Amino acid sequence: MITYVSIGLLAMLSLSIPVGIVLFLLGFGTDVFFSPFPLMRGLGNLVWSTSNNATLIAIPFFVLLGEILVRSGIAARTYAALDRWVSWMPGGLVHANVATATMFSATSGSSVATAATVATVAMPQAEKLGYDPKLFSGAIAAGGTLGIMIPPSINLIVYGFLTQTSIPQLFLAGLMPGILLALGFLAITAIICTIRPELGGQRRVFPFPEMMRALLQLIPIVLLFTIIIGSIYKGWATPTEAAAVGVAGALLIASIFSRVTIGMLAEAVMGTVKITSMIMLVVIGASFLNFTLASAGLGAELSGFLDGLGLSPLMTIFVVVCIYIVLGFFIETLSLMVVTIPIIVPLVVAQGYDPIWFGILMIVLIEMALITPPVGLNLYVVQGARKSGKMSEVMLGAIPYVLAMLVMVAALIAIPDIALWLPAVLQ
Amino acid sequence: MAQSILSLLRRLNRWVAMAIGLVLFLCAIFVLLDVGLRKLGASFGGTDEISGYVMAIVTSWGMGYALLELAHVRIDILRGRVGALGRSLFDLFAMLTMAGTVTLIALRCWPVLDRSISNMSRANTPLETPLWLVQGPWFAGWVWFAIVSWLTFLAALLLVAKGEFSQSEAAIGAFGEEDAVL
Repeated sequence: MITYVSIGLLAMLSLSIPVGIVLFLLGFGTDVFFSPFPLMRGLGNLVWSTSNNATLIAIPFFVLLGEILVRSGIAARTYAALDRWVSWMPGGLVHANVATATMFSATSGSSVATAATVATVAMPQAEKLGYDPKLFSGAIAAGGTLGIMIPPSINLIVYGFLTQTSIPQLFLAGLMPGILLALGFLAITAIICTIRPELGGQRRVFPFPEMMRALLQLIPIVLLFTIIIGSIYKGWATPTEAAAVGVAGALLIASIFSRVTIGMLAEAVMGTVKITSMIMLVVIGASFLNFTLASAGLGAELSGFLDGLGLSPLMTIFVVVCIYIVLGFFIETLSLMVVTIPIIVPLVVAQGYDPIWFGILMIVLIEMALITPPVGLNLYVVQGARKSGKMSEVMLGAIPYVLAMLVMVAALIAIPDIALWLPAVLQ
Repeated sequence: MAQSILSLLRRLNRWVAMAIGLVLFLCAIFVLLDVGLRKLGASFGGTDEISGYVMAIVTSWGMGYALLELAHVRIDILRGRVGALGRSLFDLFAMLTMAGTVTLIALRCWPVLDRSISNMSRANTPLETPLWLVQGPWFAGWVWFAIVSWLTFLAALLLVAKGEFSQSEAAIGAFGEEDAVL
């Protein structure tokens, strides 16, 4: 059954049938060929119970938060402020790209939105200050991927929902790896630009009072992050409630900069409806496939499959990582995550791994998928924002950051506490 | 003919998206007020239940809008490698599969609503919401998605039959990479 489902999955995806529909079709197939009793009767109930869900409504709320924040004009101010603080390092403004993306990730749940926002404010500077476009744009594409790792994260909500793991714990688990990755990006930028200074730009040191004034610009976004994440982990609010508070915060920020208009709100809510429906079609499809696979006895087959392979837990993780890297060349974040969860997560958990830890590992792998060609959404987003030059420049520029991510994957496997320590101490 | 069907569908779905977007926005405010009230030791009660219903209805009604905005994710490894006619055939096949599957989903959603109506079921909560009241709009959203899918398929089929590949691609092609958001 695993073999058939996997082959069917890849075949139908390559026929470019919409991902959500492929998941439903695989569910139908599992029902017809592998299930001893009819599962189709459960379809209606499953669609209802998956979408009638007070946890999942956190997704549109976080999307709305991001849509408002992107239109609030905060990005340009954040970028300017962080420039004052990080451009003294070898590589100059490239660091500001990573730092701004990190800041935005802390309030936005989406990687592509983060990359798009940073690209829009950063790209004009690159041309003005004469930066090498490769590393500059690669840093934005890579920094943007942090959006799904640093909480809040829409992908972690979906993971938590499909695997029945705690979303607040996943959020906490993503924080340290996210910050470490950001620091890794900064470090690799500094190393490259020390060896090849022509790849970066002018280093700039700003007077201290100016740096302090710049800090004021960061207050709104830091405050927003603290309120969202603080209230979840203090137990004051569920992720859904924290997201609603975040929406209000984003509106407040936008109104301080007098960016709130009826037209802007209409664009923001319609964008939210579009993205939510897109996400929910794959989530409902995956949840139906989950249900049919489990009912058709995936658990028993998996343990047989694993015994047959005779792989040690570590070898299993290694194989899984390779699968994600290869699939990541062609399939994108949420789809990649959702189509693999029904099969891979039970397999990994059966080997004794912690599902929260694996969620974070999977996010790093999926972040990598965002910036590896030929299909890497963030590469396209950044290329779209710079409007000139070749796509291959962005791809080349992203390579050092892919290496940083591979190091992170190895580190997470060697030291699971990078992810698990924070949720454990804050319990 | 094909173009007028598509532009009508787009117009209708924009209105739908605007309306459910507004509902979603109001729901966020409702949740926010409840968090505030709880700090004061009071509560509306039932926020979770109501946001669940809102999510179900927003999800089903938003699907058609997402379809016309080409937001439903497709992988175009093979599709990207063939000519205009080939791409149109890929698109038509994908659209046909989608319309068929969505119709099946909508049909399977009916028994859920039907049972709630015939048993006059109420939610097992303090609000005791009559379930048909919320499952009705939810079911209607899936039916609307099925209708939009079939009409879009037919419109695109007409366009392809007339050889207007670029117009068909604009209606049912794979999403532009830069438009996707996750």
